[in-house]
Amino acid sequence: MFRHLSSPSLIQIYLNDQLISVPEGISVWAAMALAGETTTRIAPVTEQKRSAYCAMGVCFECLVEIDQQPNQQACLTPVKAGMHIKRQVITETTSASVTMKKEA
Amino acid sequence: MNSYDIAIIGAGPAGMSAAITATQSGASVAILDEKPQAGGQVYRNASGSPLENPSILGEDYTKGAALITQFNHCGAKHYNEAKVWHVGDTGEILFSQNNETQRLTARELLLTTGAMERPFPVTGWHLPGVMSAGSAQVMLKSDAVVYDGAVFVGTGALLYLIVAQYIRLGVKVAAVIDTTPKRNYLHALPYLIGALSEYKLLFKGLELLKELRQANIPIYHHAHSINITGKTRAKGVCFISKGKQHCLETEHIFLHQGVIPNLNITRALGVAHHWSAQQLCWTPTLNEWGQSSIDMVSIAGDGQGIVGADGAIVTGQLAALNQLYRLGFISKKRRDQEAQTKHSLLQSLHRFRRFLDTLYRPITTHRIPSQDNVVVCRCEEQTVAQLKKGFEQGARNPNQLKSLTRCGMGACQGRQCGHTVSELLATWREEPVENVGYYRLRSPMRLVNLTELGRFTVTPSSKSGSKEDVA
Repeated sequence: MFRHLSSPSLIQIYLNDQLISVPEGISVWAAMALAGETTTRIAPVTEQKRSAYCAMGVCFECLVEIDQQPNQQACLTPVKAGMHIKRQVITETTSASVTMKKEA
Repeated sequence: MNSYDIAIIGAGPAGMSAAITATQSGASVAILDEKPQAGGQVYRNASGSPLENPSILGEDYTKGAALITQFNHCGAKHYNEAKVWHVGDTGEILFSQNNETQRLTARELLLTTGAMERPFPVTGWHLPGVMSAGSAQVMLKSDAVVYDGAVFVGTGALLYLIVAQYIRLGVKVAAVIDTTPKRNYLHALPYLIGALSEYKLLFKGLELLKELRQANIPIYHHAHSINITGKTRAKGVCFISKGKQHCLETEHIFLHQGVIPNLNITRALGVAHHWSAQQLCWTPTLNEWGQSSIDMVSIAGDGQGIVGADGAIVTGQLAALNQLYRLGFISKKRRDQEAQTKHSLLQSLHRFRRFLDTLYRPITTHRIPSQDNVVVCRCEEQTVAQLKKGFEQGARNPNQLKSLTRCGMGACQGRQCGHTVSELLATWREEPVENVGYYRLRSPMRLVNLTELGRFTVTPSSKSGSKEDVA
């Protein structure tokens, strides 16, 4: 089991649509690990579950969807209050859709 | 116009030391790093640790705080949380910061992109529940997060360090499976004399090993044939130690077999590289100042070939001195005078490194997998069997294999499979790795979305006018 070594102040984030409390200032990956939700993404070919490997930004196994933006590296992104984090499901069978946001 | 004398990529010990040296002589310096705070991997959160008592991690870590403070006051422009995705040989750097594309230029480039852990391609290493031992260190240093009851597998100083740190913190370690073969001790012996000048480092290493022995953790020595079991996640690890087959049940495994230079930027830039037989990795071909085959591009720190944190500091200073000389800030005489003691320190550290590299040289079967089911390319899920098929269909080098199988085409851009693919092909071709080569890499070197790309306006470069071909 992953655990935190001190008693930090907590913030609230949404992880796979569940509201959870996590230590302030840690990475999105560490928050997922502490919550026991270690699946970051679904592998594109075999559709098996995958999880972070290096935690330092070089393996790209921890790609998740953060605030509706896909392909975010959970290990390099610090958690922010109110953040929405979701398991990334992009496989060979996923069809891409392009939504253009109007810039202000 | 965002223009600097020197731009440094990576704010670890090499980058920070170079920035300090360069600014002291009046050069304008920009330094880019992907993390919120400077420090790199080794001094990650050394100033501002989430741990109540960071000194438990050891003096080699806490001493980084002083360097970070000095760096923060040196006057270099620090672009933090900046993801560099293009570096041009005209001195142009494109990077994303807060989802915005930015551009800067410099007369000299210094790449201090450090090291990454060597891939450990064994059966099941891609499963959830398997992480690198470096990840345990990262989570400990920056998040104060640990895992109770993990099995540590592999060889190398970093592996013993993180286990010792876990022990000091009272974190449960289920077992250590040490893959250092017996013969390495014999092979390393001739280099011990050369390493003696760094007797303090040797002593620290011995203390670390003593800590492990006294901790009452099961340690399996000279292990090989590592096999991680489990279908959808890690359930255990099987291995042979001293001629006996063992299987341990565990939910979590940390793997480690040394570190290698992180070369995606130097590769994409097109500087010359060669295969290091000592360190079993690709390294950029450099002169004694860290200057590459492209004059204005220098490389310092572990990106030169693994030199360690102390070596990184020295190589950063040397590279900066040479760039200061090239830019006209200091004379050749002053460069050489200031470099004298640094060069001899570096030589001493290199002798020590030679000893370490020989002692902790990862075994062939853990680098060059032969079982069909081992995943080599994690992103595109390509196994040994699939790559072998590609080779039999005529793929002779990594680029041809990439075209045929998609290996190395995923999000990590070959970082996790490149070395394995080079060594696999060399084995199948029965030729030196040097002949096989590596993937040809291109910008963008990070995941960039179309909006970020779209915000970048092309400014024709003065030299060629076509260098903005980044797509």
